[in-house]
Amino acid sequence: MTGAGTAPAIELINVTKRYGEAVALDRVSLQIESGEFFCLLGPSGCGKTTTLNLIGGFIPLTSGELRIEGQRVNDLPPHQRDVNTVFQNYALFPHMSVADNVAFGLRMESLPDDEIGRRVGEYLELVGLSEYRDRYPGQLSGGQAQRVALARALAKRPTVLLLDEPLGALDLKLRKQMQVELARIHRQVGTTFVFVTHDQEEALSMATRIAVMAGGHVRQIGTPREIYLGPVDRFVADFIGESNFLDGRVASNGQGPAFQLSNGTVVPIPTEPDGTQNGRVALMIRPESVGVGRGAPGGMTPNVVIDGRATNVAFMGNHTRITVQTDAGILVALRFHGESDEQAVEEEMLDQEVHVWWDPRESTVVTADDLRGSEEELRGGPEG
Amino acid sequence: MPVSRHGGTVRWSLRLVFGALIVFLYLPILFMVVFSFDEGATPGLPITGFTLHWYEAMLNNRVLLRAVGNSIIVAVIVSILATIIGTMAAFVLVRARIRFPNATRIAFTLPIMVPGVLIGVSLLIYFARVLDFSLSLGTVIAGHLVVTVPFVVLIVASRLQSFDRFLEWAAADLGASPRQAIRHIVLPLIAPAILAGALISVTLSIDEFVITWFTVGSQPTLPTFIYTRVKFGVTPEVNAVATVMLVLTLGTLGLAGVAMGRARRLTGRMRRRRQAG
Ligand SMILES: Nc1ncnc2c1ncn2[C@@H]1O[C@H](COP(=O)(O)OP(=O)(O)OP(=O)(O)O)[C@@H](O)[C@H]1O
Ligand SMILES: [Mg+2]
Repeated sequence: MTGAGTAPAIELINVTKRYGEAVALDRVSLQIESGEFFCLLGPSGCGKTTTLNLIGGFIPLTSGELRIEGQRVNDLPPHQRDVNTVFQNYALFPHMSVADNVAFGLRMESLPDDEIGRRVGEYLELVGLSEYRDRYPGQLSGGQAQRVALARALAKRPTVLLLDEPLGALDLKLRKQMQVELARIHRQVGTTFVFVTHDQEEALSMATRIAVMAGGHVRQIGTPREIYLGPVDRFVADFIGESNFLDGRVASNGQGPAFQLSNGTVVPIPTEPDGTQNGRVALMIRPESVGVGRGAPGGMTPNVVIDGRATNVAFMGNHTRITVQTDAGILVALRFHGESDEQAVEEEMLDQEVHVWWDPRESTVVTADDLRGSEEELRGGPEG
Repeated sequence: MPVSRHGGTVRWSLRLVFGALIVFLYLPILFMVVFSFDEGATPGLPITGFTLHWYEAMLNNRVLLRAVGNSIIVAVIVSILATIIGTMAAFVLVRARIRFPNATRIAFTLPIMVPGVLIGVSLLIYFARVLDFSLSLGTVIAGHLVVTVPFVVLIVASRLQSFDRFLEWAAADLGASPRQAIRHIVLPLIAPAILAGALISVTLSIDEFVITWFTVGSQPTLPTFIYTRVKFGVTPEVNAVATVMLVLTLGTLGLAGVAMGRARRLTGRMRRRRQAG
């Protein structure tokens, strides 16, 4: 476990963090491998920042163990940890120039001056701010300040870089641009990134693995694909992308695993749900997997087809969103434009009888009730 | 549209009261300054002519200069000590997890509100009866510390309070020990507030009279010297001294104001795209 080459970069073992009575993290365990771009994803207040602050060493653990590269670091103060942080508000030193900000960490290491100079140049170049080295933080835009913070942290060449919603303050366009930039920098420096966000799209597009958190728990850890296509419960499915949920129960149709919808129809499902999905369950189908049309589906796939009425048709630019009321529940389907399928002009479907269908392989059974009750926690208000 | 038909009248009478107040506050000072340049040996109206004679006389008055010297010595020492003590106290107040923060804060700053006479008398009794000290500039300095330290505490603590905690976290994150973080990040950023505290201590000490009166020995400070002089009649020389003091005090306070403004700008939220100065 202690071999430096094999130990995970970061390991949390049953970590609990309490603030007085309030539990911010409840027995969280996770492993982050070296070189990963690991995303902590979850709604506001779920404990993402707390997790990062624990790893950075700014707040103490209540119980459990934290390891960096196999070493237990529970009691190591932040300045002795080989991790660096890009804070959400960047925390640039206002009385130092950009170059001095980047050099600060290197000076604390007492590196020789020429080495410091070289590294400052190198990392300012990496983030594309070489011309800004003599500016002060007050003279930078949000995006530039963010990149200075990144350069300052990276210049220390840490084992792990922690980023707390670093793009949160940027407008959409700059944000997209910085996402691409961050991914490039990650590939270029090869450091482990632990990235906090509550934007699922950001997590999906950048992460090698995602931990979905809610109410102080980790709900699911997996690659973006695994989480998007196989969410473990309704919360995760709902949080990552848009989903259709059809109530019902696991049944058998004699030929394999099946699911009985609330209208009595029995539809095939890809795999028998494992024991964890006891209690109330729902069948989840992503909107882009749902086909809709006034005629029957084409193709040879063993589709499930049910009937309904199109209650809303919304043009969304590159796709159209069609809401269909069926007696098994409401389904939303997306039709992307420019597909060869010329079956019907979407607008003509409104208030018409239509068929909806999906490939059973693209449906998943998820727990519908939340056993751990954190959906209430998340809604959090009296209205819940 | 005016809120009331009498709005105009009310506004005018308010302006009048305000103007009268300003005149009441500043007219005596104005006269003092004017009289310091007046030729007449007994200051008063009418003004007979312009002269710098009294300033010259002031510079030749040994006793007076010694009093000025005493005041400066006291002010400098008080300012240094008050700044050090007050800054350390401010750190304790804001940073240490003390048991009763509000009570402690009040205890630290109460001397500002306690009447000077009370402080003066109690110090006199304490020095003379409890410690058996003879009164000297040392006891004056101690007395001045009682009223200057709270100001430094107030100013520095309020800066520390609004200090962005993340800056220290960032420093620690980048490898600075707590000590290095204080030295390289916290102190430079609150330095203007500390400087403001020091300057305000100087001005408070220079013109502190009541406490000084009780704690002073045979070496008078400037205010006590002027007071003893005035009893025998105001000479224009005193006006000259007072005018010089006024200018110095205002200058120091101005500097303190600039320093505090700078502190606010440095430690306040970073403005996005703030224009280069
Ligand atoms: N210093 C603190 N004292 C008390 N409770 C705290 C403290 N810091 C955080 N909490 C609580 O711990 C929980 C987790 O907070 P945390 O800051 O980790 O959330 P987050 O996932 O980062 O949320 P966001 O997306 O809003 O930043 C929240 O319920 C919060 O109220
Ligand atoms: Mg947070």
